Amino acid sequence: MSTTWHADPSVLALYAAEDLDDVRASSLEAHLLACNHCRRALAPMVPTPRLDAMWSEISTALDAPHPGLVEQVLLRFGVREHVARLLAATPSLRLSWFLAEAFALGSAALAAHHSSGTRAAGASLFLFLVLAALAPVAGVAAAFGPGVDPAYEIGIASPMRSDRLLFIRATAVLIASILIGGVAALALPDLDRTVALWLLPALGLTLTTLAVATWLQPIAAACTVGLGWLLLAAAASVATTDPLAAFQALGQVLSMVALLTSVSVLAHRRSAYEGRIPS
Amino acid sequence: MTVRAEGDDALLAAVATGDREALAELYRRHAPWLVLRLSRRCSDPGMVEEVVQDTFVAVWKGAARYRASGEVPAWIWGIGIRRLISRLRQRPMALAWAHTDDTMVSAEDEVLIGVEHGDLGPALSRLSPELRAVVRATVLDGLTTKEAATLLGIPQGTVKTRAARARRELREALA
Repeated sequence: MSTTWHADPSVLALYAAEDLDDVRASSLEAHLLACNHCRRALAPMVPTPRLDAMWSEISTALDAPHPGLVEQVLLRFGVREHVARLLAATPSLRLSWFLAEAFALGSAALAAHHSSGTRAAGASLFLFLVLAALAPVAGVAAAFGPGVDPAYEIGIASPMRSDRLLFIRATAVLIASILIGGVAALALPDLDRTVALWLLPALGLTLTTLAVATWLQPIAAACTVGLGWLLLAAAASVATTDPLAAFQALGQVLSMVALLTSVSVLAHRRSAYEGRIPS
Repeated sequence: MTVRAEGDDALLAAVATGDREALAELYRRHAPWLVLRLSRRCSDPGMVEEVVQDTFVAVWKGAARYRASGEVPAWIWGIGIRRLISRLRQRPMALAWAHTDDTMVSAEDEVLIGVEHGDLGPALSRLSPELRAVVRATVLDGLTTKEAATLLGIPQGTVKTRAARARRELREALA
């Protein structure tokens, strides 16, 4: 689109130098929107290096990877960009992991439904509680270390303290696991206090795993803690003939003790992660 | 970079299909005047550059939403001035407004009422710079009172009173 009138080159020069008075400048701006000729005449007044520098920034922005779904959701909730990237790169914060956990807990809940009222009822509830308690332990173990973490090398080189990185990821995994466990627990046949019995053991086991991981690799720590607890729980069931023995009062108290002990161990040994467990 | 001869509408349609060269051509045509026009509204050259970058990234992402109307420059300006305002909102250069008011009474209407006749140029020249800035933001840049307040770094109430005063002075000058 063009008009027959065109701005005088001297007016364009004054405008580019920001020396044109407001009224004429406003008039020129209105004309520029409609006049290709004058826009082209104005273009050389902006230094080419400046335009090129901006264009290279634009190219960079267009080439930047698009944040994935998890990252976008986290950013929407006000999580800072670098933290969101770290969390999105956590293997056990992937959709496949959540689906697996939801499937396992869902199956256990379904089994509890089927066996409801039979002699196997206690055993299937035990299965559900054990799975729900161990899920965050497995998630935390799978969040770190060589072989499982795609951002392992990046983590080694990252300028963030290892323990901080680890705690951010562990917290996210823990929250996600507990949410899934909580939803799955609603599917249990009897909605009484038994559906929440796994919560404290889950916290205790996860914190214990993190504490033990100051000595061992995370996966080894998780296996040690998880298997050890599983054996104890099974032994308690057999010894007391109550399938849920490990989740009764004594078990809850011990979980609480383990949780508090682990917190103090972590407070003293958090620097042990440095350089060994990067992320 | 190859020079392309298509019109802006055709280039924008190409951008919508992911043609980076078409965006480069649009940038070549429209970045210079956008830089200069923004520079008259923002004294920080760094911020102007960020806004221009934001604008063309938005053009790239939003090209599909453009309805061909032959008004590409006005469309780009509309994006640019609003990007500038959102940058100013994050990093205000003047004090934040003293009192906020979410009603969006267009100050443009206030100024234009009664200014249909007469020679506008000299009348505008006689306005004080503060009043002219308000007229420019609301009438020529088509901003709402709230946006104009952000751009000029003054309260919305001040935008309204200045717009009213500008209208009164213009009406007197054109009578």
